[in-house]
Amino acid sequence: MSSNFHHPNLPFTSQIFPPSCPHLADFRSRNGSKSFRLLQDCLRVKPPGGRAAIRRDPNEVPRCSSCGDSARPRLYACVTCAAVSCHAPPSHSHAAAHAESMPTGHEIAVDVDRAELFCCACRDQVYDRDFDAAVVLAQTTASTLGGNAVSSSGVSPSQPSLPPENLRKRRRVDYQPWMPDLRERVLVGANSSPLDCVNSNLGSESELPWGLRGLNNLGNTCFMNSVLQALLHTPPLRNFFLSDRHNRYFCQRNVNGSNVSSNVNDGNGSKNSRICLACDLDAMFSAVFSGDRTPYSPAKFLFSWWQHAANLASYEQQDAHEFFISILEGIHEKVDKDRRKPYSQGNGDCCIAHRVFSGILRSDVMCMACGFTSTTYDPCVDISLDLEPNLGGSAKMAAARSNLPCNGEADCMNSSQNQRLSSLVGCLDQFTRPEKLGSDQKFFCQQCQVRQESLKQMSIRKLPLVSCFHIKRFEHSSVRKMSRKVDRYLQFPFSLDMAPYLSSSILRSRFGNRIFPFDGDELDGCNEMSSEFELFAVITHKGKLDAGHYVTYLRLSNQWYKCDDAWITQVNENIVRAAQGYMMFYVQKMLYYKASEKQSAS
Amino acid sequence: MRASINRPPTPEPEDDREHQPTFQESINIKLIESGEKERLKELLRERLIECGWKDEMKALCRAYVRKKGRNNVSVDDLVQVITPKGRASVPDSVKAELLQRIRSFLGSTAI
Ligand SMILES: [Zn+2]
Ligand SMILES: [Zn+2]
Ligand SMILES: [Zn+2]
Ligand SMILES: [Zn+2]
Ligand SMILES: [Zn+2]
Ligand SMILES: [Zn+2]
Repeated sequence: MSSNFHHPNLPFTSQIFPPSCPHLADFRSRNGSKSFRLLQDCLRVKPPGGRAAIRRDPNEVPRCSSCGDSARPRLYACVTCAAVSCHAPPSHSHAAAHAESMPTGHEIAVDVDRAELFCCACRDQVYDRDFDAAVVLAQTTASTLGGNAVSSSGVSPSQPSLPPENLRKRRRVDYQPWMPDLRERVLVGANSSPLDCVNSNLGSESELPWGLRGLNNLGNTCFMNSVLQALLHTPPLRNFFLSDRHNRYFCQRNVNGSNVSSNVNDGNGSKNSRICLACDLDAMFSAVFSGDRTPYSPAKFLFSWWQHAANLASYEQQDAHEFFISILEGIHEKVDKDRRKPYSQGNGDCCIAHRVFSGILRSDVMCMACGFTSTTYDPCVDISLDLEPNLGGSAKMAAARSNLPCNGEADCMNSSQNQRLSSLVGCLDQFTRPEKLGSDQKFFCQQCQVRQESLKQMSIRKLPLVSCFHIKRFEHSSVRKMSRKVDRYLQFPFSLDMAPYLSSSILRSRFGNRIFPFDGDELDGCNEMSSEFELFAVITHKGKLDAGHYVTYLRLSNQWYKCDDAWITQVNENIVRAAQGYMMFYVQKMLYYKASEKQSAS
Repeated sequence: MRASINRPPTPEPEDDREHQPTFQESINIKLIESGEKERLKELLRERLIECGWKDEMKALCRAYVRKKGRNNVSVDDLVQVITPKGRASVPDSVKAELLQRIRSFLGSTAI
């Protein structure tokens, strides 16, 4: 049998683990899989879902065996002999003294209040997969039996249900950059002609970046134009179409090939099988990136979408967000049909729409009575966020903040002023905050075998390449048969770090600092990609619910442009910051080319 | 009088009865046994997050680790460097709220 011990140099996660200390390694090799058997009987979790602590019996008040102190913030129990010692450097450390006074093997101790491992010789936190697995398991399935004691039978580290190998599942690669190989290079050279504007008048005639072209309003179609502008400048989507990955001539030929009738150029094929929104997008990308600056009329696209959406029963909306969702669905459906094989949209092995926009949400529902947690994963193409409820309760917070001394470090000035406004970050905090489900929506607990009150928490298990946030500004009430729009201002950052909303972060704040052996996917989700995102498009809505107007702000080469149907104007970023955001598009930072945007275009 | 009569005998390295708890310690024990300490800790955690204290400490830790190099910092180093700054920057309103909670707890419990 191979050793379970984690080799510190294996880069299985982007979180850098400190090199494992020799004392822990020693301890493990001496005690093998039984290393923490003693401790597991002492794991206590209360209340259900609370933090794990180490107590020899449920009501023990741990105190230092040398000085008798029980009020010290750091008390450690030796994992070898269970002696509890205080640790209060630099003045004194009875824990370190204990390790020194004993023969080797008493260096590793566990924080009695946090259930985290500590090496008294290295004076540093240490991590052990098997131990962490036992703690996490105890926290998720803490039983009310025996005064919150965890039965030790379920947490043996050798139990097959918790193989540490789970940690490293196969990697998935979502984004593969494409470079023409030699053969393709020849084909490209022989069959293409350079675009006019590249040689001649780009830059001289207009300072607008490549591909920026107004879209004519075809009669109340700003909801469509605003979304199309965002899609046309979504970096991975643009790269996909501009590198000819969905060729409309090929695609249509295939459709018609099976159909014998060959009215390819007519395009108005009334059969739904012939509608391909990806083809229409391909055509639009060609037109928009042709260098022609006169406003383009997306009539063909509107027509196709109309036919596509007509099947969806709810085509009456003029809501940019619903339009966005239905376009992605449209692209997906077509590809799905062509491949005759169902694809799961979450894992990146799907149509271009899902490869770009699809992420996976994790939802944990925990039974308030026993702590049993049920976890579900759902793919999503965007995240719909509620505006924060009136920040009424914030008076106290504001007062607290004003007392906060600034050390000149960090940007506490900014954070203390800004956080009082409603913000996208605030909405995300709210989205991932544990929420107690009301007694009217009790969930059936598998462990209790009855309906129980529960705590629900959302987190992001896998980030998409492009994150679209939709702010729920339109409130529809089917009961009162009315809708209204919330005009509240919402602050959104140009750079956004999604790390705090990842399942791995959310779980860490729930379980403490651990190596998570119970679900390797949590790690996969966050280490393939950076969690840093850059804003590149904002769709805003001005005016009333039904008589409003959509405008998109695009960020190209770090400069902002306002796309108001046919009119494109360069704008100051303050105008964007002040705008009433309805949908915000963020792209993974590594796919956002600030400086090179211009070069790559010419 | 401690509520230890019902406790099963556990191996204690030191004889409990010889230890005379100070007033402060007996308060601490009351707080722990009643579960109030855990509730106070949770409240404190919440408040420190709300007021930005936690983010500030995180930033300080990050800066220190970056300065020293990731492999040259132990938890003890961090605790030692950050603790004084952390203590000093807890907002007075948070301290006041906790103090009030402890007072009312003591008032409701005879010690
Ligand atoms: Zn001590
Ligand atoms: Zn020991
Ligand atoms: Zn060590
Ligand atoms: Zn197509
Ligand atoms: Zn798809
Ligand atoms: Zn339950």
